[in-house]
Amino acid sequence: MLAILGGIFVLHIAAIILLLVATIDNAWWVTDTMSTDIWGRWMKMGGVWNFTDLPTGSHYPQDYLQAVQATSVLACIFSFIALFVFIIQLFTLPKGQKFIISGALQLLACLFIMIAASIYTDRFHINETDGSYGHSFILAWIAFGLTFFSAIIYIVLRKK
Amino acid sequence: MLTVLALASVVLLGIVPEQSQAITIYTGWERHALVGSDIRLSCSFFSWRWTSDDVTFSWTYRPDGSRDSISIFHYTGGEAYVDNKGPFRDRVEFVGNPGRRDGSILIKNLDFNDNGTFTCDAKNPPDIVGRPSSVRLLVFEKLPIQAGVITGAIIGVVLGLLVLIVVIYYLMRFLVARRVFSLSVSKHGKKKKEGSQQRQGPAPPADPSKVKAAASEKKKQESRKDKK
Repeated sequence: MLAILGGIFVLHIAAIILLLVATIDNAWWVTDTMSTDIWGRWMKMGGVWNFTDLPTGSHYPQDYLQAVQATSVLACIFSFIALFVFIIQLFTLPKGQKFIISGALQLLACLFIMIAASIYTDRFHINETDGSYGHSFILAWIAFGLTFFSAIIYIVLRKK
Repeated sequence: MLTVLALASVVLLGIVPEQSQAITIYTGWERHALVGSDIRLSCSFFSWRWTSDDVTFSWTYRPDGSRDSISIFHYTGGEAYVDNKGPFRDRVEFVGNPGRRDGSILIKNLDFNDNGTFTCDAKNPPDIVGRPSSVRLLVFEKLPIQAGVITGAIIGVVLGLLVLIVVIYYLMRFLVARRVFSLSVSKHGKKKKEGSQQRQGPAPPADPSKVKAAASEKKKQESRKDKK
């Protein structure tokens, strides 16, 4: 029982860390001289990395950008809340019951990061030839999988 | 001990006059305004000396892209002198309070040509060594929404909805439980008056659809049966 609990805890913490890195680090799309994201753009000018604002224009829709920002932050917040609720429910839930609320919150976090990553995949960098998706983008999708898996475990597990 | 204290105070008194000669001037960093509106450019200073009667305030303006600056406002000897020949003629008004170290000016009816840097220089004799402070004015046709505002608004609304749902859920549970309890108490009172023991099966709960209400009803029924 304790091993399972430890495993679930580690899984949840890993999901939170991945979500945080995906949200905070500016590396959703990288080229040789640029690392750009949902908050700003790192450009390598003359060997020095400078932090600049994201371009505004038709190829960088502002409203979709704000949607990606908001939903990825919300995913982090909900995953945090799910962790706290899980710890509380460990002590207050009667035996034989399922951790429904933590599972629901973690599922919400999964939904939000899926929305963020999907919007980013569909609306940004569609016609660009130079560059590739960076580690923040990849971690966002991995975090989607981890949070989904973690939520399913919460919903299925019964307290002993 | 006393000698150490005396020495320290002498040293401090020696250092402080050096500092007291520097005056620090505070203005904003950047100001945004709409075309045709008025804007108040604030300027205040900090000085170790008392505010003297000869305090002076000077505002100069440097247009965007130009290297020359012109003087548009000067306050000295208790009198405010505003621009009467330059680009701000009849548009500058002194709204500061020199007694309170405030040298703010009001610029009326802004135009796109007013984009530029405004520098405030204040002197409080004998405190005259200081660095003038500049505020940049940006005139917009339509005020742009700042970068993080919409994102923050979305996050706030979603979290607020979540909190609202939780509060409503607990409120409903509380209200329904109370209503059921008060109804069952009144029924119990009636039955006691009649002195009957007719009710053996489960009593009809107030809202049959609410499972929790029925469960609490059953619990109260059982506790009443135990009491009997």
